[in-house]
Amino acid sequence: MGAVRGCNFPEDLLYNVENNVWVRRESDGTATVGLTSYACSLAGQIVSYTPKKVGKSVKKDKSCATVESGKWVGPAKTPVAGEIVAINEAVAANPGLINEDPYGEGWLVKIKPDNWDADSADLKTGDEALAAFEAKMEADGFGGC
Amino acid sequence: MSETHTRHWRLIDTGVLRAAQNFAYNRALLECHQENRSPNTLRFLRFKPSALIGFHQDVRQEIYLDYCLENGIDVQRRLTGGGALYFDEGVLGWELYLDKKSLGTAQMPLIAEKICTAVASGLSQLGVDARFRPRNDIEIHGKKISGTGGAFDGDSILYQGTVLVDFDIEKMLNVLHIPVEKWSDKAINSARERITTLKEEMEHAPQLEEVKEQIARSIGDAFQVDLNKEDDLLEAEKTLYEQALNEIDSPDWIYQHNRPRDDSSIKESITKTPGGLIRIGMSVDKNRSHLKQIWITGDFFIKPRRVVLDLEAALKDTPLSEMETTVRNFFNRNHVEMLQLKPEDFISAIKKAMSDDTVTHQKVTS
Repeated sequence: MGAVRGCNFPEDLLYNVENNVWVRRESDGTATVGLTSYACSLAGQIVSYTPKKVGKSVKKDKSCATVESGKWVGPAKTPVAGEIVAINEAVAANPGLINEDPYGEGWLVKIKPDNWDADSADLKTGDEALAAFEAKMEADGFGGC
Repeated sequence: MSETHTRHWRLIDTGVLRAAQNFAYNRALLECHQENRSPNTLRFLRFKPSALIGFHQDVRQEIYLDYCLENGIDVQRRLTGGGALYFDEGVLGWELYLDKKSLGTAQMPLIAEKICTAVASGLSQLGVDARFRPRNDIEIHGKKISGTGGAFDGDSILYQGTVLVDFDIEKMLNVLHIPVEKWSDKAINSARERITTLKEEMEHAPQLEEVKEQIARSIGDAFQVDLNKEDDLLEAEKTLYEQALNEIDSPDWIYQHNRPRDDSSIKESITKTPGGLIRIGMSVDKNRSHLKQIWITGDFFIKPRRVVLDLEAALKDTPLSEMETTVRNFFNRNHVEMLQLKPEDFISAIKKAMSDDTVTHQKVTS
């Protein structure tokens, strides 16, 4: 597990650093998308989660779910385009799961990717991702998770 | 006096509009800002009488729809978070479109604090003691005068709030589901203990232009920018506004997120403690397991009296699992005098209300 300023970033995930989201390709070909621990720390306690509906197509870097924390509403932008195949009922019932376990139980949506290879090509992972998050935190004036 | 700064933000004032029009501007201006087409902007706005729910809320859980329809009150969904509110011409709306870089932080609670503190400072120039109260209010002596909320997209944020200049509290109670004690006819008094207006604080309603001027000046000073008034929007903004209005001015947008009404309920309890009676009225979102709003009343002794209102504010939009910690942290942080009353008494009273099974949506006044 990598960490930057106290925020965890599992090294096996792919990240869109700008949008503060991760994606993981599962063995069945679907892609699981979630918020990073850094995004959760910036947002604070998340109290609402509205994913796009199952069956809906989402474009790369467009909203796949909307979350709310402390009266702030914002989109979670999917790193890969495709069709939403699952939403997280456990998170719908307890949106705080996103903060508690952003890389596990707190995932946002599962997507059947339109073109995994093309869309994932510009995502970062491992040390490259950690360095990019460090730069983003510096630019954001962020003290630490 | 304000200094002159090298940076400029735009100031616009769109006057009194329908809620759908105001929120279509929200979407158009936030989107254009995110695409680097719009400058940082302060907008003043007002509404025809409107019941406005937060982005994630459900109309029927938050407002008395029949009353609104019978009385010509617009019903709309905001793009920003937070709870339902009633707006009429006596409320001044303000909002900022900014990039996070202008704010020096990307942390949402700090952004809210910075903006609310600036607006509070502007209001204080009118001769009242307005202050930011966590997480998102501006208060005067503990009473709320401004509620705020935000939306973000990439590095762009929209943060907006109200200022109650001259406000009809009774009408608000008719419009919104508020956790007032159903057994009490003191709903209006309870509301007056929690909400105030500039008219009440200043003993006359100030000129709106004066309020706007003070807020604009204070924001300019806080962010070290000059605000330049502009009368017209950019072409790109106008085009996006028309598109947004089409979508927002429709039942599909307003009534989305519909859930069974009893998913959100008002829960109540009365608890006898050695320090007196504690009455709890609170609205809870069962679907998302969080406490939305709480009113605490009773005949217990606590000093300063505003502590109760500050505790209510601290508990707003709290996951039920965090309630106890929030209450304990609140009493650890604040110096409070109580007679035979302990923080645990509030926790027990809230827990008792949490186990209240009677679902009520009783109209308090008519």
